[in-house]
Amino acid sequence: MVGEEHVSMIPAAPSEVWSAEVNGQSQEVLAPSNAILLDVLRDKAGCLGVKRGCDMGTCGCCTVLIDGEPRLSCLTMAQDASGCEITTVEGLADGAHLAPIQQCFADHGGSQCGFCTPGFLITSQALLTKNPNPSDKEIACAIEGNLCRCTGYQQIIESIQAAASIHRGESELANPASDAHPDPHPSGPEEPTMPPGHAR
Amino acid sequence: MSGGYKQQPGGGGNETRKDGKRVAGKQSFSPPGSGGSKPEMSPRDLDFIPETVGGKEKQPAGSHIHDRARTGTTVGKRTTLVDANAKVTGQAWYGDDVRLPNAIIGRIVRSPHHYAKVKSVDTSKAEKLPGVLAVATGDDAPNSFGVLPVTKDEHAMAVEKVRHVGDLVACVAAIDEATAREAVSLIEVEYEVLDSIHDMKKGLEDVDEPIHWRGKYHVGTTNVQKRVFQEFGDRSMVENPNASYHGKWKFMGVNHGFTEPHAVVAHWDSNGRLQLYTPQQVPHYAHRALATVLDVPMHQVNVIRTFVGGGFGGKSDPFPHEMCAAILSRKSGRPVRITFDREEVFWVNRGRHPSHIEVQMYADEEARISGFDIDALIDGGGFASFGHVTSYYNGVLATAPYELGSFHYTGARVWTNKPASGAMRGHGAVNTRCAVEVGLDDMSEQLQVDPIDLRLANLLPPHSRTISGFRITSNGMRQALQRVREGSDWDNKFRKLPLGKGIGIGCGFFISGSGLPIHWDPNKFPHATVHIQIDMDGGVTVHTGAADIGQGSTTAVAQVVAEVLALPIEMIHVRSHESDTSPVDLGSYSSRVTFMNANAAIRAALEIKEKILNAAWDALGYHPDTLVLNDRRIYYKHDPAIGMSYLQALHKAQEDKGALIASGAYRSPPMGGVHKGAAAGLAPAYSFSAYVAEVDVDIETGLIKCTDVWAAHDCGKALNPMAVEGQIIGSCHMGLGQVLSEQMVYGRTGHLQNPNLLEYKIPSVHEMPNVTPIIIESCDPEGPFGAKEAGEGPLLPILPAVVNAVYDAIGIRVNDLPLTPDKVWAAIAKKMKLEGIDDPADLPVPRLDFSELQSKLVARAAEHETRDKRRQKSEDTDAYVNGVLFGFDPNVPLEDQVEGWMSSDKPTPEQLAELGLAGTAWLKEEQRNMGGGN
Ligand code: FES
Ligand code: FES
Repeated sequence: MVGEEHVSMIPAAPSEVWSAEVNGQSQEVLAPSNAILLDVLRDKAGCLGVKRGCDMGTCGCCTVLIDGEPRLSCLTMAQDASGCEITTVEGLADGAHLAPIQQCFADHGGSQCGFCTPGFLITSQALLTKNPNPSDKEIACAIEGNLCRCTGYQQIIESIQAAASIHRGESELANPASDAHPDPHPSGPEEPTMPPGHAR
Repeated sequence: MSGGYKQQPGGGGNETRKDGKRVAGKQSFSPPGSGGSKPEMSPRDLDFIPETVGGKEKQPAGSHIHDRARTGTTVGKRTTLVDANAKVTGQAWYGDDVRLPNAIIGRIVRSPHHYAKVKSVDTSKAEKLPGVLAVATGDDAPNSFGVLPVTKDEHAMAVEKVRHVGDLVACVAAIDEATAREAVSLIEVEYEVLDSIHDMKKGLEDVDEPIHWRGKYHVGTTNVQKRVFQEFGDRSMVENPNASYHGKWKFMGVNHGFTEPHAVVAHWDSNGRLQLYTPQQVPHYAHRALATVLDVPMHQVNVIRTFVGGGFGGKSDPFPHEMCAAILSRKSGRPVRITFDREEVFWVNRGRHPSHIEVQMYADEEARISGFDIDALIDGGGFASFGHVTSYYNGVLATAPYELGSFHYTGARVWTNKPASGAMRGHGAVNTRCAVEVGLDDMSEQLQVDPIDLRLANLLPPHSRTISGFRITSNGMRQALQRVREGSDWDNKFRKLPLGKGIGIGCGFFISGSGLPIHWDPNKFPHATVHIQIDMDGGVTVHTGAADIGQGSTTAVAQVVAEVLALPIEMIHVRSHESDTSPVDLGSYSSRVTFMNANAAIRAALEIKEKILNAAWDALGYHPDTLVLNDRRIYYKHDPAIGMSYLQALHKAQEDKGALIASGAYRSPPMGGVHKGAAAGLAPAYSFSAYVAEVDVDIETGLIKCTDVWAAHDCGKALNPMAVEGQIIGSCHMGLGQVLSEQMVYGRTGHLQNPNLLEYKIPSVHEMPNVTPIIIESCDPEGPFGAKEAGEGPLLPILPAVVNAVYDAIGIRVNDLPLTPDKVWAAIAKKMKLEGIDDPADLPVPRLDFSELQSKLVARAAEHETRDKRRQKSEDTDAYVNGVLFGFDPNVPLEDQVEGWMSSDKPTPEQLAELGLAGTAWLKEEQRNMGGGN
């Protein structure tokens, strides 16, 4: 084999400018023309909240909104989403305000280990935008592509129902934990939310 | 909300905008030291203060030593996880989210062969590829490691042999993933393929080249990694049984299926210390193993636990890829990140052991359980992992909750050329439990009694000893059975539903922490240590090594500290990620965290409380016994106007000393017998559970749908009912997967056929039944505020409950899990042929016609209920050991009163003649010093 010229297994694709509106900010990054949206979002756009659970469309952890529709970013070519409006879990909260769906997942046990949570939040947000009054069955159909190994889905459905009632204006955010302290909302995550040296 | 200063700009705590969104993480903060987001002190919440100390909380199971530490702050209340905000905003950082400057990507070269000698590894081409910064092979790390000190049989990369497809051979690090993958393809390995073993039964046979040598003692020249023999009780009791069950069971291997694939980042800092970021359940074991493999002292390694995207036992071994990242990083001088594909997750596996389990059970004329015979052959795959312990658990965790006349267990774990099995939620207990509970159902059918009454009349009481000597303290089994019976309307459904619909019962018993820590020498060290520190402004920092893997252990620790100090939980900051700052903790396994860590945390918090109260004593002149600690204020019991704020007292306590610091530790009391393996299954407390499941079976296709589950679990005391319910429902989900759809399928050639989440069938939301979680609180005398585990035990009962429900629906038992439609339909077809039926709609369904035993059992159960209540509340403190039901005196050693009562850990020559499948491992002679590790 000595002297043979090495032929690359995957020929490098030319880099192209990829632009899109990610969480309300227009982003322009240089990415290979054959890049997958999930990689671009995580590695180039800094959206590490978008999770990779399987890379083949079976877990739903990588769900993002593309022009308002929930899509699996691991099965989407970045180019197909260029120029679109993309919302990831980081874009759900409005500045300092958690979206009702986020607050409800926290308060009703919809998130245990939390790895599936970004995908569920995006999927349910899309559902609630279209249908603020979903039945349990409709919720189940909406989240059927999302896998959760911790919660057994029941508390997720409860969380979505709770958020739906806030969307309908029937209830305000209430914290079930608020017996003793009406607002025990922690003053921040328990620990620095990013490890040292985390490039954001 | 006026007056307080703003901790951060952004509005008041209760502010809710018109659109329903509200302030997150930004809230007004009351003056320093008054703490929390509310400036005013909350009144004492009497509903959450036990009756014995003057509150209104009912205590049906009696009082508890921690009652005096209750302040009504958070214990027993539905509490949002303290790290929930990070999780719902996408800020939680899991393994692959750790991004260090200049990091490069590592990939692993894996074996394509089941079993082979590695003759040579040629890395030269890969090294020449531009962009490749480091390549490593087995030669770089010759030291072996393993999670258990007695079975260190793993290497970072293959040294000499590869043992399954996917075993690590070499690794590379390159500037990006594409280059790294390419470099992997350029590494040339020369193998000499050996004869591989895939069938666990073959593992019992002598071969030329066992997968490992066991070190000092090898069982023949077989692949037996561990064999166990245990016998207790009087074997003559099983002669002439009134009913008996004999079942041969087959269980497929299952994987944890956590959503986050393994990932690791290693970085040697400028001082030459290793900083390793990894989603680990047991950072301490990884820490030890890293030090061994890398040949550096432990203090030169800092293990940083990232958020863990699900563990369930699958992230509790030290892993070779963690070593690889560290080695690559040391070689390249850059941080290295390795993230697994889903397929690689299946290659490391450590899931539940595929098993062949044979059980024989006997009941006597009074429907007492006169004997259990269990024989378990389990398939360990290529490495030992936790297998040593699993081999015991498959037997010993079946010794309760029932009183047994005799118990006989033979177990063997064999190596095969598959990815290693290991610990998974319900470690070792799940499969046997399923077989045993189905056996009870079958025997109650023979006796024509209700299976719930059969169980109720044979339970061990609280504060008793099992046949193998386990010390049971609190025991809520009876209430659990009663509550699910009521909740499910059992009496109107059981054996009364039409063909295709069924209802079934199953129970569970599990350890709450293992009594003897592995890897802990000398054994006088505590199991868990927690440090608490309070500085001037009153915020509390808690340092613990407990790994939160989603179960909410961080929240539990924060809760108990908040409870003791009567502070809002938002003032408690738990730091648990770094081994540099947290005291050694043995990690999240064996359901030990809540029990042990919260106990340690309570101890530390009590010490702080004492310091603060003493300071208040100085200032107010009232003895601490007469002072009440309530939300950020300390006052005189009889005149609340006399008092001082928490902050004033704190500052007084800090005079001349500065920050208040306390350390608390927990060690389980000495327990257990002296027989070999007596330590396996010992725990300071045990959890109990009972489930009723209802199923629909499609008789035309064999498809089973579980529709409803009533799930009662005795967790001692629910510190956070929301988390406990989440654990119960989640356990149901996982167990349901194992009983209905999940299996790791190995094909004819021994290859794993479904290493992905498409073909490995984890139940989706549509397969989930309606689960009604029922929390039973038996108030454990040694648990933190009475709590026991709730994370693993609730998985056990769902399997037998479903299998029993299927029998109730179609009158057929299938002893081969998972119950996929093909198997069920084949069983239906077989039965139709046997009975000469053409239409499955004509299948006979089992019906119950009570025998006269039924009323006897009901009467006995009622008697026992009174007994149990008295024992639970310590009104009756007489000794109770397994055997009293059979008329023995608990105060005289059983060996002395019953002829033939034995307790042995080796088969006698006569027994050797009649051993089960796994038992045949005892036919082999031990050979000395054949080579290998320990
Ligand atoms: S990562 Fe996209 S579906 Fe799993
Ligand atoms: S919360 Fe862990 S996978 Fe859903």
